[in-house]
Amino acid sequence: MNAFLRPLSEMNNRVGTAYSATLARIHVARGVGRMALLLAVTFTFFAILRPGIFLNHVNLTNIGIAAPEIGLLALAVMIAMLTGGIDLSVVAIANATAITVSSLYTHILTTQGAGAAGAMMPVIVLAGIAVGAVLGSVNGVLISIVGITPILATLGTMQVFNGLALVWTGGVTISGAPSALVSMGSTGLFGVPMLMLILIVAAALLAVLINRTPIGRKVQLQGANPVASRYSGISRRSTLMMAYVTSGLIAALAGLLFLSRNPSASADYGASYVLLVIVIVVLGGTNPNGGFATVLGVILATLTLQVVSSGFTALRLSAYEYAIAQGVILIGVMVLDQVKFRRRGRRSAADRLAQSPASSALTE
Amino acid sequence: MSAALSRLRGPNNEGMLVAVILVVVIAMSIASPAFFTAGTFFALVRSSMVPLIFALGVLLVLISGGIDVSFPAVAIFAAYTTVKLSVDGNLNPSPFLIFAIAMAIGAALGLFNGVVIARFRLPTLIVTLGTQSIFKGVLIAYIGSLYISASDLPRSVTQVSDAHLLDVTGGGYLHFLIIPVVVVALLVSAMLRWTVFGRSIYAIGGDTEAARRVGIRVVRTQVRLYVLVGALAAFGGVVYVILGRNANPQSILGTELDIIAAVVLGGASIFGGRGSVGGTVLGVVLVQLINNNLVVVGIPSTWQRAAVGVLLLAGVSAQALGAARARSRPVVVQKEVEA
Repeated sequence: MNAFLRPLSEMNNRVGTAYSATLARIHVARGVGRMALLLAVTFTFFAILRPGIFLNHVNLTNIGIAAPEIGLLALAVMIAMLTGGIDLSVVAIANATAITVSSLYTHILTTQGAGAAGAMMPVIVLAGIAVGAVLGSVNGVLISIVGITPILATLGTMQVFNGLALVWTGGVTISGAPSALVSMGSTGLFGVPMLMLILIVAAALLAVLINRTPIGRKVQLQGANPVASRYSGISRRSTLMMAYVTSGLIAALAGLLFLSRNPSASADYGASYVLLVIVIVVLGGTNPNGGFATVLGVILATLTLQVVSSGFTALRLSAYEYAIAQGVILIGVMVLDQVKFRRRGRRSAADRLAQSPASSALTE
Repeated sequence: MSAALSRLRGPNNEGMLVAVILVVVIAMSIASPAFFTAGTFFALVRSSMVPLIFALGVLLVLISGGIDVSFPAVAIFAAYTTVKLSVDGNLNPSPFLIFAIAMAIGAALGLFNGVVIARFRLPTLIVTLGTQSIFKGVLIAYIGSLYISASDLPRSVTQVSDAHLLDVTGGGYLHFLIIPVVVVALLVSAMLRWTVFGRSIYAIGGDTEAARRVGIRVVRTQVRLYVLVGALAAFGGVVYVILGRNANPQSILGTELDIIAAVVLGGASIFGGRGSVGGTVLGVVLVQLINNNLVVVGIPSTWQRAAVGVLLLAGVSAQALGAARARSRPVVVQKEVEA
């Protein structure tokens, strides 16, 4: 090979990688694109039908305040689903955090006064986050070391966490939350609710964790192909442990948002969230069998369902009609996906092999 | 675990469950003299009836390798719609007719589940999450959202509510509906054991592709299975309405995970291909035993959920550790005895 041809072949290679990287990106964007389209369509639909109510500042702010806690719970489930598992205990963990923070705060407030309680705020919040990490690691131990199937392990821990929360609170709603948390729930930056910003920052951090760090790569490979992952020398135990502790931490953050929206905590809060959150995660393009998920897709799915919910309210439709819409959207998207997948599969099986989850990667 | 012990354990941990139930019963009898009475027993039977019927449906789906979370919605949809139709039409249909109509509605909803799951090969958990939401929404938004109290129920229904098989003065009673419930459990058990359909469900749950290759029509079997499970759920819904003497469209909903927990406790595998009616009955009875009687032995009722959760975790941990041990040591015969 002479001196003239070498740079040419180098350039050729570079163009080649750039081209395939773009292709990969477009492929990934398809899942996100679908959700973005659905969000745009639903938003425009309700905006045209009821511009006065739906586009009202108050309504939009309400979407921005209600969506973050659900979005965080969905991200917590997404991490578990990425490894090929599921986490049914996220809502129970979030409630445990909220109850811990609320009762610690009330205790300090009554024994040492408001000044001490205000000063202890960071410690109290850290304690709440620690509860999330501990409960997440309980899930992690049961799944990675004891070897229980994730859906069963988290079904059990959901009952236990929720049961212990019931015992602690005596089954009643306890009130009280650090004032800093409460004021956070009602402030905003440039018109964007603070809670929404928290969700965005958390989602961005999670996306970086998944896509740009070795831990994230391990989690993806574990979900995409556990056998290949084992032969690549990835420790199944530590990967799963990491995933469920992260899930617990995000759920704990959601618990803090519960408190900042409404300064009270109970063991029963958000009981209907468990299944709703799974719907969101799957709608967001997460493969229920693991290996593929996008943070952006999950966030878009959260916003879409929230837009549909508040749009239905603007149209004076009931929560039950919203439930119908939720089910129809979920099944509709899944069926469409399947039909498309089958057609693609018929066209060429090799095509499908090329799109192995690990190579198609995750984007933010 | 020694060979003798593992034989006692039974194929799906039934022996272990019997032992746990015995321990719980003995402990409760010692803790409270009020426990070991006919009244406690009848209350246990009564509270186990509805969960048992739901559990049988869940069992069938689990054996086939799926998970169904829509059965509470199907149950209350079918039962409430039937009662509402008879109330609105000012009819007083016989109990048989009520069961028949409700089960037809349940079967239709099950058909919807089955077609979506089997035709499009979608994950059962996700599909039933969606249909659960749809059924619940349609029921409350379009069929009815009002509580129907005992005085408004068709008289035939309240008559069945009062039908006691056995009355012990001062000690409670055994409800008549236990007979159909037991018959249904026996029928499901016989079906699983001795019919081609029943064996096909095990085969599909064990390995769908292998089942397909030996000539089982997977799609057709799955659709029939979900139709049957829908009808079972509806049966449970009507029993619930009869026992509770009211029809509330918001009831039953949200109990799905508790029932699944009981079935898993009864030894059914979440991966499909394994599970028995006997184990399921034991699982349901154990959960109800704890739910009903913690208070009797002086533990506050707020501990119920945690207690059942710990029990579930202990059960599945034992299974998981047992499976891991079996994998790591392929030799079946073991001489040394372990704890």
